[in-house]
Amino acid sequence: MSVRTTIFGLRPVLKFGLIGLLGLAAGLLFFSKPVLNRLAGLPYQDSFAAGTADEWHALGGTWELADGTMRNESDERGAKLMAGSVHWRDYAVEADIQLLGLDGDAGLLVRSSDEENGVDSYNGYYAGLRTHDNTLVLGRADHGWIENQAILLPGGIRPFHWYHLKLVAVGCEIAASATDTLRNVTIPAAMSEKDCKPNGRIGLRSYSSGGVWRNVRAYQATFADLEALRSKKPSAESADQAKVPASPSSPSTTAESSEAGDSASVSERQTLVAQEIASLRMASTAHPTLAKVRGVVVLTSPALYMQDATGGAAVMEVQAAPLKVGDEIEVTGKPEPRDFSLVLREAKVRLLWTRAPIPPLSVTAAQAATGAFDATFVELDGYLVSKEVGAGNTMILGLQKGEQSFRAIMNPGRGDVLFRKLKTNSLLRFRGICVVDSEYTQNLTPFVLLLRSPDDVAVLTGPPWWSAGHLAAIIAIALILVLAAQLLYSRVEHWRLRAVLEERERLAHEMHDTIAQSFAGIGFQLQAIRNDLQEKNSAALRQLDLASELVRHSHDEARRSIATLRPESLESIGLLPALERSARRMVDGGSVEVVASSRGGERPIPVRTTDALYKIGQEAIANAIRHAQPTSLHILLDYEKDKVRLAIEDNGIGFNAGHDSLGFGLQGMHKRAESISAALDIKSESGQGTHVEVIAPLPPRFTLKVWPAYIWQYFQERRSNAQEWERTHPYSYRR
Amino acid sequence: MLNSLQSTWRKVFRRKSILGLCLIWMWSGSCRRASPPTIAFIPRTSGTPLWEPAHAGAEMAARSTGTKIYWNAPTREDDVQGQITLVESVIDRKYQGLVLAPDQALALITPVRRALSKGTPTVIIGSPLPIPPGGRLSYILNDEEEAGRMAALRVGQLLAGKGSVAILGVNPDIAGIMVRAHSLETTLAERYPGIRIVEKRLGSFNFPHDQQIAEETLRANPNLNAIVALTSASTRGTCSAIAHNPKMQFTKVIGFDEPDPVLLLRESELDSMIVQNSREMGLGAVKTIAAQLRGQSVPPEVRLKPLLITRENLASPQVRQALYMEWWQP
Repeated sequence: MSVRTTIFGLRPVLKFGLIGLLGLAAGLLFFSKPVLNRLAGLPYQDSFAAGTADEWHALGGTWELADGTMRNESDERGAKLMAGSVHWRDYAVEADIQLLGLDGDAGLLVRSSDEENGVDSYNGYYAGLRTHDNTLVLGRADHGWIENQAILLPGGIRPFHWYHLKLVAVGCEIAASATDTLRNVTIPAAMSEKDCKPNGRIGLRSYSSGGVWRNVRAYQATFADLEALRSKKPSAESADQAKVPASPSSPSTTAESSEAGDSASVSERQTLVAQEIASLRMASTAHPTLAKVRGVVVLTSPALYMQDATGGAAVMEVQAAPLKVGDEIEVTGKPEPRDFSLVLREAKVRLLWTRAPIPPLSVTAAQAATGAFDATFVELDGYLVSKEVGAGNTMILGLQKGEQSFRAIMNPGRGDVLFRKLKTNSLLRFRGICVVDSEYTQNLTPFVLLLRSPDDVAVLTGPPWWSAGHLAAIIAIALILVLAAQLLYSRVEHWRLRAVLEERERLAHEMHDTIAQSFAGIGFQLQAIRNDLQEKNSAALRQLDLASELVRHSHDEARRSIATLRPESLESIGLLPALERSARRMVDGGSVEVVASSRGGERPIPVRTTDALYKIGQEAIANAIRHAQPTSLHILLDYEKDKVRLAIEDNGIGFNAGHDSLGFGLQGMHKRAESISAALDIKSESGQGTHVEVIAPLPPRFTLKVWPAYIWQYFQERRSNAQEWERTHPYSYRR
Repeated sequence: MLNSLQSTWRKVFRRKSILGLCLIWMWSGSCRRASPPTIAFIPRTSGTPLWEPAHAGAEMAARSTGTKIYWNAPTREDDVQGQITLVESVIDRKYQGLVLAPDQALALITPVRRALSKGTPTVIIGSPLPIPPGGRLSYILNDEEEAGRMAALRVGQLLAGKGSVAILGVNPDIAGIMVRAHSLETTLAERYPGIRIVEKRLGSFNFPHDQQIAEETLRANPNLNAIVALTSASTRGTCSAIAHNPKMQFTKVIGFDEPDPVLLLRESELDSMIVQNSREMGLGAVKTIAAQLRGQSVPPEVRLKPLLITRENLASPQVRQALYMEWWQP
């Protein structure tokens, strides 16, 4: 058994071993991935205090960072802010929570996935603090709410008061606890499901009430954590304390400001009849009187804006009331009509209802520029022209649509990431409050949009792809591809020629080992026969001499062929020494003087060119030695800037090149010269010797200077080739 | 020796490979159990006493027909664009059926036509769209004429055939409201000529706006005996306006589409509510689509009689079942 066979025999063993190892690695990766995924990102601690919340993703609401907290100042039902991994399984999440309104709830989500905009449009568990019935509520949503627990919190649940909420999910057991941090009262709630949701993200959620969250953290949990939470006993407050009146769902007056110091009497305000906002534009500016309007809050920061079915107005409150977007309010104040806008000064605000924010009016930039939509919640599109940071780190987007330009102003915080990502010339869709007040427009644009949160910006389409940078990149890539193709082509040609040369070498070896040796053997045998023959058998001796001569001649031809086929000298010693050696071998034993010389800076010649020149030179040398009876033979290799010239010159008898002298050898020389785009010139006259010259082009040196010229030449050649093709193939379908 | 071992190994490996492939194929076949068809159900909004019974009805029908429900809606009834976006996403997700309670009659035509062109069986519930039924489109509608008639009869009963009434909340955005108002007016004119309609005002989805209209109506008609509020917003707005006007406590309100028992028990001026039977709509819509998926013919249009809910019948089994919201319960 040979070594080769043994190695091949072992290969399948190695192969199976390798497959086994790979399978094992894949298995380990497969089984460890869920474990890694479950742990990735845990423990988690928010960075609201640092003013960043890039990892959170909003679905509804107006989520903003403020004072180290995350705020949703919207009454939207089911607004969500999600973070974490859908692979998280057994973990706890906890946070401090403050509700911003009555008749709603706010809390935490665990194991959530498939979230969408909508009231209960997620699949996961929710624990929240509900003001409506003062309970800690715990349940499951699967695009529909399934309430499991509603535990009364002694002392009630009040807006603008901090509670600590904790939610633990381990296995199919879910537990929650709510702590009134001021009273130090804690209540637990727990549920279990047979067919539970095993994994999902964390989230913040509010329903019909804004909320504030801080210190959100999530970490791995065990059954011990779950038990610790479940074993918490409700606080031992008296039943009387636990009986908390339900929050009023009818209109409330909690947001009403104090009347102290008010120039208008309370009775005057109460007897006013509510008007439409549009009607206040006719109010007297000379004698401002109180007016009452009802509408919906569309923006709370940087100023309070309200809107009804007829229009919108800015509200300058006497005392800022804790309002949220979507709140339906009654405002009593002094209307101050301006050119395009309306401001209610010295305003008193009364909260009527908390509701989901109203949808925007879809308008065009041209419509918004008329001022008809001042203080109105609108939706419009525009191309991003510029970005800048304004006073107080507000983010200002310069926009253009049609013939109108406008700006969108966004508060700092969660919008930072979006602001960085937005690219000029992108088509964006905005939802915001259209304001024509020069305080915001600075008379640079007809209107500005005050955005409620970064979620009010949607990228419809990115910038056009055909930018100057991309075009430059395309050209660069194309150049690189052309270069790569050229290099590849050269390499392939090189490999092909190498293969040809190797084959020739193999043939030369074969010929040397077989034909040449046989000729030598035959010659030896013939000589032996001749030695044994008697001199009297002269006819046989002549025939033997003739046969010996033929064998010798054939042996010489074989040696010459072997010398021609054997190219190893080309690669090892170079073209000129190889030709010189070949010439010396051919004239070996004769009186022909061989002189080889070179001129110019020696440069590498492509293999293909070298081979062709070598063949042509060999043929020229062979012709000179065989037919011209020269006494000297000159071989000259001249390197020029972009070409190489090979000249073979002898002082033999020459021949008449003009007549029918194109034998098989010369034809071959011409063909070889054509194959490398070289020019072959043969000059000879009887008695004047022969001068064979071949000039072959050399590829340019790849420098930055010659590159453009080279590419230009390449395309010119392509073009001329194409023209030539069309000229020679006028009816070809290959256009 | 080594060659023979190698050959045997190859044979075994080949057999194992074939066996493994068979096992994988069988495993994947067993795991690829045919999932039940999913029907997208998009009410006008969700999480409200009017539409959660529809969810319960839909889930009940889904359990009996072997289908699944995808339930989602805009957070407000007037978020027309939100509902259009939702319908478009449902069409793209290629659900096997669509049940829609349109927020607006005209704006939803194009999305519904697109769903129909994609071959999605569609049932419109509540109020109609101006697309004729047939093919894959069916309607299960609230009988608005009957609703208007019921309101008229209740007003006649309350006022004993004599007095003044105002109709608030007329909203042309919802096709059925106009029919409702027309039926109310014609029935009153035919059955109770002694009852005058003194005001008829447009409504919106905005509570304060409807409250303001109610206040204006009450101011203009200090002796008004009754108000028929044709929408949920006008019902709440009217109740709030009367509650804040001590002089008008005698005015009775007949509301629509606000089946909140708490409201009925709390607001004394609210006499009764007429609500569409959304539970039956959800039940019927899902059954209709399931029948279409089975290739059965379905009625192109069904009209369901609304419910009159009063304090007296609030605890009745019929009303309790109609208002049942626990959709996850079998």
